[in-house]
Amino acid sequence: MAYVITEACIGTKNTACITACPVDCIYDGGDHYLINPDECIDCSMCMPECPVEAIYPGDEVPEDQESYATKAAEFDYSKIAPGVGIN
Amino acid sequence: MAEIKQRSLEEVKALSAEEAVEIMRQAGIVGAGGGGFPTYFKYMKPQPHLIVNATESEPGYWGDKLVQKEYLAEFLQLFEAMKSIFGFEQISLGVHEKDREWYAEYQEHASDGVYDVRYVPDTYALGEEKTLIKHSTDTRVPRFVDNPDGTRRPGMPPDVGKVVNNSETLLNVYNALFLGKPLTTKFFTVYGEEVDTKVYEVPIGASVSEVLEIAGLDLENSGHLSVTDGGPYLHDMAIEELGNGDAYVRRMTNSLFLLPQGRQGKEYAEIKTECPEEGIVSLVGKVSGVNLPLGGGLLKPATPLVSEGDEVEYEQKIGEPVDEGFSIGVWASVGGEISSIQNNIVAIAGGAIAQEEAEAEAAPSMAGGASPRGEAEPFSEAESSR
Repeated sequence: MAYVITEACIGTKNTACITACPVDCIYDGGDHYLINPDECIDCSMCMPECPVEAIYPGDEVPEDQESYATKAAEFDYSKIAPGVGIN
Repeated sequence: MAEIKQRSLEEVKALSAEEAVEIMRQAGIVGAGGGGFPTYFKYMKPQPHLIVNATESEPGYWGDKLVQKEYLAEFLQLFEAMKSIFGFEQISLGVHEKDREWYAEYQEHASDGVYDVRYVPDTYALGEEKTLIKHSTDTRVPRFVDNPDGTRRPGMPPDVGKVVNNSETLLNVYNALFLGKPLTTKFFTVYGEEVDTKVYEVPIGASVSEVLEIAGLDLENSGHLSVTDGGPYLHDMAIEELGNGDAYVRRMTNSLFLLPQGRQGKEYAEIKTECPEEGIVSLVGKVSGVNLPLGGGLLKPATPLVSEGDEVEYEQKIGEPVDEGFSIGVWASVGGEISSIQNNIVAIAGGAIAQEEAEAEAAPSMAGGASPRGEAEPFSEAESSR
């Protein structure tokens, strides 16, 4: 059950989660960061790092934030590299 | 102050919580699973439920599994004692589903009612405390908690009445309470490219290069390899180019993992290793010297009790914990001469090989090498594989 980055990330995009992630599974999804659920190992290290508390365990995502879990699951990660976008 | 000495089960059970906490502090016990958090602090405010973390998660590790297998009798006594000392209502052993057979003996003894065994999904989860609590109980550690001053902090196990300790950490508690032995060694797995998988018990502060040589690696011809302190997923780089520089065994070293320079640890996520047939091999008394940190990371440096040139014996106390902040006692992990005390690192030359040889070997590696990395860095500050 992967972790999910939710709405609070928008406008913040603090990179602490990216630094914390041991498997580089956090991608720049535009308005906010995304955790690739196929790569996330459920280690939880990103969660306490987020200064705006945007990260939830997959099974604890608040109902009104579930679209972020869906977006993370459906996103095409094949075209970008993980981490902070440099382009 | 409670003395660190040999005690019977009855004597250990008769210790007060305060006495046991002080013994843990003096004995220098910190979280051996990788967190490095001072163990005594977790017991200062007793909680109802102790969860023993036996969910070693990095691919290829055997250390905790072998520790639990080889020290079954010790763990059974410790669980009984911990219940008396700290008034735990429940002690649970958290085990991965895939390891059911390995822990079968623990399941048998659980019928005595002292503890139970809880099987959790085989997720990686870093052996992380909060994930283990989530999978082994019906409780969730809150993501964040409000402090009285209005600030917020990440939730922790005590917020839901739990203490989580890793297997090896608890063996160290056993050693201190029952045997009067302070913390001087670390159990870890050596594996990866060009080396047979081994599990060693190694004096803390030993040279990583020396351990790898003992493991059979030809250091002079291994410059194409890197060694990490940690496994494929989570690790610090210990030595980028073998043979050039050195690093030291820490209180939370769980593995020395060898991989070709430039490769990513996570490329080895699927690695499978065989449990070493010989079990745990002790290198106590077999290394030429150590560099022992008096503190670092979360820990305020202990006050050195020795000076350069002093002769110390194995398991002699060389650092007294300070009263301010987190601090632990530090004990000689080899016998020998104190060759230097610098930057809160006590170097002891001695042990298995002759003094001159040890100095000759130690000098170049220390001059060019990376400085000993900080003890007790919380996991969150550890460098990842990038």
